[in-house]
Amino acid sequence: MRAVLVLEDGRVFPGRGLGVEGERIGELFFNTAVVGYQEMLTDPANAGKILVLTYPLIGNYGCAAKFNESKQAWPFGFVIKENSRIYSNWQAKESLADFVKKQKILTIQGVDTRTLAVHLRQKGQMLGVVSTLNFEPKGLIEKIKAFRKNQSASFLPAISAHKPEHLTKRRSGAKKIGILDLGITKSIIRQLEALGLAIIVLPYNFPPKEILRLKLHGLIVSSGPEEDPGLREVVENVGDLIAKMPMLGISTGHQVISRALGGKLAKMKLGHHGVNLPIYNPASYKGAITVQNHSWVVDADSLAKIKNIKITAYNLNDRSIEEIESKKLKIIGTQYIPASPGFNEINSTLKNFVKYLKRSS
Amino acid sequence: MPRRKDIKKVLMIGSGPIIIGQACEFDYSGSQACKALREEGYFTILVNSNPATIMTDPGMADVTYIEPLSVEMVTKIIAKERPDAVLPTLGGQTGLNLTFFLMKEGVLKKYSVESIGASVEAISCAEDRQLFKKAMQEIGVGVPKSGIADSLEEGMKIGLNIGFPLILRPAYCLGGSGGATAYNKEELEAFLNKGLETSPVHQVLVEQSVLGWKEIEFEVIRDCADNVIMITSMENVDPMGVHTGDSIVVAPAQTLTAEEYNNFVNLSKRIIRRVGVSGGGANIQFGQNPANGEIVIIEVNPRLSRSSALASKATGFPIARVATKLAVGLTLPEVMNQITGRTTSFFEPTVDYCVFKVCRFTFEKFAKTERLLNTSMKAVGEAMSIGRNFKESFQKGLRSIEISRYGFGADGKDKISDAALKKANAGLLKLIKDKIRIPNDERMFYIRYALKAGLSIEEIHRLSKIDCWFLDNMQQLVELEEEIKKYRNKKDNDALEIPVDLLLQAKKDGFSDRQLAFLLNAKENKVREFRNKNNIKAAYKLVDTCAGEFHAKQPYFYSTYETAQEARVSKNKKVVILGGGPNRIGQGIEFDYCCCHAAYALKEAGYESIMINCNPETVSTDYDTSDRLYFEPLTLEDILNIIELEKPVGVIVQFGGQTPLNLAVPLRKAGVNLLGTSADSIDIAEDRKRFKQILHKLDLLQPANGTAFTFTEAKAVAAEIGYPVLVRPSYVLGGRAMEIVYDEATLEKFISEAAEVSGEHPVLIDKFLEDAIEVDVDLIGDGETYVIGGMLEHIEEAGIHSGDSAMAIPAHTLSEELLNKVREATYKMAGELKVIGLMNVQYAIKDEQVYILEVNPRASRTVPFVSKTIGIPLAKLATRVMLGAKLKDLKFTQEIVPKHVAVKESVFPFNRFPGVDIILGPEMKSTGEVMGLDVDFGRAYIKSQLAAGQKLPRQGNVFISVRDKDKNAVIPIARKLVDLGFRIYATSGTAEILKKSRIGVKVLPKIAEGRPNVLDLMKDGKVQLVINTPSGRIPRQDEIKIRSQVVIYNIPYTTTISAAQATVSGIEVLLKKDLDVKALQQYHKKAASSQSRQVTRNGKNKPKNR
Repeated sequence: MRAVLVLEDGRVFPGRGLGVEGERIGELFFNTAVVGYQEMLTDPANAGKILVLTYPLIGNYGCAAKFNESKQAWPFGFVIKENSRIYSNWQAKESLADFVKKQKILTIQGVDTRTLAVHLRQKGQMLGVVSTLNFEPKGLIEKIKAFRKNQSASFLPAISAHKPEHLTKRRSGAKKIGILDLGITKSIIRQLEALGLAIIVLPYNFPPKEILRLKLHGLIVSSGPEEDPGLREVVENVGDLIAKMPMLGISTGHQVISRALGGKLAKMKLGHHGVNLPIYNPASYKGAITVQNHSWVVDADSLAKIKNIKITAYNLNDRSIEEIESKKLKIIGTQYIPASPGFNEINSTLKNFVKYLKRSS
Repeated sequence: MPRRKDIKKVLMIGSGPIIIGQACEFDYSGSQACKALREEGYFTILVNSNPATIMTDPGMADVTYIEPLSVEMVTKIIAKERPDAVLPTLGGQTGLNLTFFLMKEGVLKKYSVESIGASVEAISCAEDRQLFKKAMQEIGVGVPKSGIADSLEEGMKIGLNIGFPLILRPAYCLGGSGGATAYNKEELEAFLNKGLETSPVHQVLVEQSVLGWKEIEFEVIRDCADNVIMITSMENVDPMGVHTGDSIVVAPAQTLTAEEYNNFVNLSKRIIRRVGVSGGGANIQFGQNPANGEIVIIEVNPRLSRSSALASKATGFPIARVATKLAVGLTLPEVMNQITGRTTSFFEPTVDYCVFKVCRFTFEKFAKTERLLNTSMKAVGEAMSIGRNFKESFQKGLRSIEISRYGFGADGKDKISDAALKKANAGLLKLIKDKIRIPNDERMFYIRYALKAGLSIEEIHRLSKIDCWFLDNMQQLVELEEEIKKYRNKKDNDALEIPVDLLLQAKKDGFSDRQLAFLLNAKENKVREFRNKNNIKAAYKLVDTCAGEFHAKQPYFYSTYETAQEARVSKNKKVVILGGGPNRIGQGIEFDYCCCHAAYALKEAGYESIMINCNPETVSTDYDTSDRLYFEPLTLEDILNIIELEKPVGVIVQFGGQTPLNLAVPLRKAGVNLLGTSADSIDIAEDRKRFKQILHKLDLLQPANGTAFTFTEAKAVAAEIGYPVLVRPSYVLGGRAMEIVYDEATLEKFISEAAEVSGEHPVLIDKFLEDAIEVDVDLIGDGETYVIGGMLEHIEEAGIHSGDSAMAIPAHTLSEELLNKVREATYKMAGELKVIGLMNVQYAIKDEQVYILEVNPRASRTVPFVSKTIGIPLAKLATRVMLGAKLKDLKFTQEIVPKHVAVKESVFPFNRFPGVDIILGPEMKSTGEVMGLDVDFGRAYIKSQLAAGQKLPRQGNVFISVRDKDKNAVIPIARKLVDLGFRIYATSGTAEILKKSRIGVKVLPKIAEGRPNVLDLMKDGKVQLVINTPSGRIPRQDEIKIRSQVVIYNIPYTTTISAAQATVSGIEVLLKKDLDVKALQQYHKKAASSQSRQVTRNGKNKPKNR
């Protein structure tokens, strides 16, 4: 099946489809991780985007429901170099081709994704269109232009829980936390469960008053799409909750909390999308290699004016803000994703957050 | 944290000679480390016995010792230099073990030397099997069921408890030497015995076999602030059961889920923390059950390793450099990533390509050994290839190892034809299945045959346990091959009918023009023309550590068939250097040394250097050796692609050994400008007939000789010149298939073998000069001035390959008159060939006559040795000369004869090839060399023996058994030994002669005749030295048994009278005088004043004018 990827600036990448027909427009970004395609596809933070993978061999280990980060796949487009025609891993249940077909992810393969990534690096993130229906660049570029003018609809209603969901039975003594679901991922939930927390997943727009009524020990504002129109309401709601309970913001959640505190966001040229991003704490030589997936960042100057907030980690390469903390307000915000280091292990940031919960009860 | 200020002087330990399991990757890591230490302002002291290394170049360390890597000698260096710290992690297992023993013997404590990079505790934790197992269990990492045996009984008990199959690993052994798989009680016993002997601490790990499991490796680095990063994962295509050094490996791992991958990373980080590496790297090997994901740890190397060199080259991340900086207290965020120039080393490299490592074997050198792979490493070298998918990388890799294959078969060289495979009978199928089931060096090609014969991927997987993902990729190549074949030209007119799209697809999947030419029935250059016409050209992509996320300042390049060209072609004057490709016997680190010097010289002369090579173990493929590095196979197609793009002023083919030299004529034909000695002169030297004419013209002697294409012709030639004759194919390396033949029947056998090796080239037949003395001469010329670099007298007599002989500078027995004859001949030859660059001539001297055996108008194996002996960088000067400089301007116009003596000794891999006879002959068998340097021959020789691992005795018993011819010559040797306090054992024949000369000797029964015989004595440790010369061309069974036992028990031995003489005089030195150490810089400081003399063309001494 013939397919084409056309970029907003006119650059054309021919390729072949992978079982799904259609034409979708979205913002392109590339991720440099070697593995994790299914996790990336099912991360709600990627809703509406066109995901480009720089690693050229995709689908090798197949797909299995257990690796889904959420209920479905979210990107509008998926751009890869070579799809493996077989898969080989003891856990795999189906091929990547079957997975994208079921999930209706418009996929284009055979694309020189390195050249595409270098192009995006030089020109910055931009819109693009994947199509198996039309191949005339001119017409497709017109469509991208039209798309840019229109405010896109919010993904949050589709992504988020529709009503509060209790994930775990409350055991005696267990701390109760809420997750404001902007696109929470299962891998984070698994770690929180392992910490022995009782978890309630809340709709993204769950009113602050009702949150207070739940008598939570703490609140997590999750990761999710960054440019979603629905976020304005979330920022306001979170603003009402600051200082009223310990709070952890993850990626977009961190941006939401920062905005609620009065901080401003800035769009990055390329963003951070990968599993190899170094952060460091200016007070020590100790840092961490983190998983990240964001195109916006909290502006350091805007945070400087806010009392009680300290920047506790920076990105080692571009010095952007990676982590904030307020001991007084009991807030931690991480631009990175506090992913599990391995089977049954818990990220230290989540453990630190739990310490705040103890103090509050 | 800033670098440590409490340390001022650091001792670096190199890895010694190239052996199987420890190759030039440690020159690469050691050189990087030296540079890193000096960058940080440390006074660096280096010790290494291997002269063919870049790291032992005088400029690399502040003080360089070319001395044996023994506790005794290194202790002397420590006493003299008083370093604050020793860096043991860059010198392979040798460096690590040596440090461990220095610690055990209290040397480190006595002189307050700290082990940095890996503390002695960390080394113990990783190397001591029991400590290691305990540590791993503590942190919840699975280990195979196992036990440690200090004795045979214990080992048997443990093994029978665990159940078969079992893996046996001797402790403190590199490259898994002595490792084996036992399937039954009998094998267990045999391997235990061997393993206990091999292990320097007499310990063997008996372990549950995880045969067939996935073998996964991770490279991790940790700094003193506990920052840990993962460099890359690697997956062995050959599953567990084949030593990782013999396995085909891909990076990154291809068949792990994100979760599994993550878990491996996490385990690796836990392990490096637990082992306690706190300023360095580690290589961690895991086994994973493919059926349920169960993980066990196999091994940790708390040091730079072969795998870390591969990981380094695969990702662009300079592990050795960074590890060294961490060892002196810096942290990862403080060390810049020089590839990107804008990120720090605290960043996990990621790739957007597939890397493939293929091993190079030399089973053909050891005829009596089975071509099987197991847990004891056999590979002598490796090549790395890079492609945008597995298929491309795989095919590039297969053509990189230079086994005259041009990809995954389909190159006209397949042993089994498609037609035969289509109707494969039961016998053929069985052969194919066996070749897939039992790991061997040809397995990949047999998988192709199997696919063509209709075996399913599942069945091949069942037989080989190779992951189906890899097999499917191979299947895809077979399918594509069939598709291409449909467009085969049946008219024999060289026209190409293949659709352009399909051709592009074939190139993307790594098909070489050579394969396409074969499949399409056209000539290779026609395929090239057709490709170029249709604009299907290689694009070059970057190894940039970051998958394109950052602009890279100093990347290197690989070819692929993609949309955008990322090569960074400059308009500057530039020269291409062709590297030597994978290491093999006959072509090793010496040539890489020369290529590096070429790059340095180009820089000096204001040219850009462009390196083409595919050997990941080398300094030449380091990111900062040349201006631009192309990591590519050394085939005509791949080289021309680069030359067409870069348009260099010239190409250097003299330095990479036979590989580039073989390409000289085709490159010349393709219009490429070769620098240095003309292609015509190269041809004269290689072409017997032309060479003979030249010798005649110059009035020089040559052993009587002739050429033959058939046995009939050969018979006639041999009859005319008289037996014994030396037969060999032309255009081959390292004396491959070369033999001394004493009669017609043997001649017939060897002609058939030689014909296969040399293809369309004839077989050469020379009169063999028995008992001649051989001399190697290295010369440099600029087309007008010619200067001898060194004259090396062989210690073994002619007939033993020059790569295997021990040699000395200056000549130790030849008269000045004879040497002058050699000088004269050399200069005549150089003038005739108008040598521009380097030339090597081999002579045999018999009855005062000087015969020319061979002329090679290229850098020889001895160039680094000679350079270090005389203190002149010959390869560097040769490069300058090739660029047009004159020796006069470079101030090198007179031969230097040093006052000190340098002895080169070779090192052999016999312990890897059980059952192989250790007798030396015209076929080269050594893998590496060492240098002994001292004030006289005796001292230099003994140092060379110590460095080569011969533990020469100071007392004890010597077993002597020599052929009749040598019986008189052995008398003074035996007498000297008795004088030195040794006791002599001999078999009846030898004993008789010795008794007649009134030398006390104890007679031992022949092996078959009674016991205790010599084998029993050896087993009991009662023989400290063996002198055994072969009785004839068909060695007696007894002798072979003795010689193979010598290898097993690591007893010093000599197989020639001349070596025995040198050995005995060496022992005398050892007993009477104490050996001292002296830095290379000291030798040459004096060389400039009074110690050496300069010699004019006719051999006259010349007063120094500098």
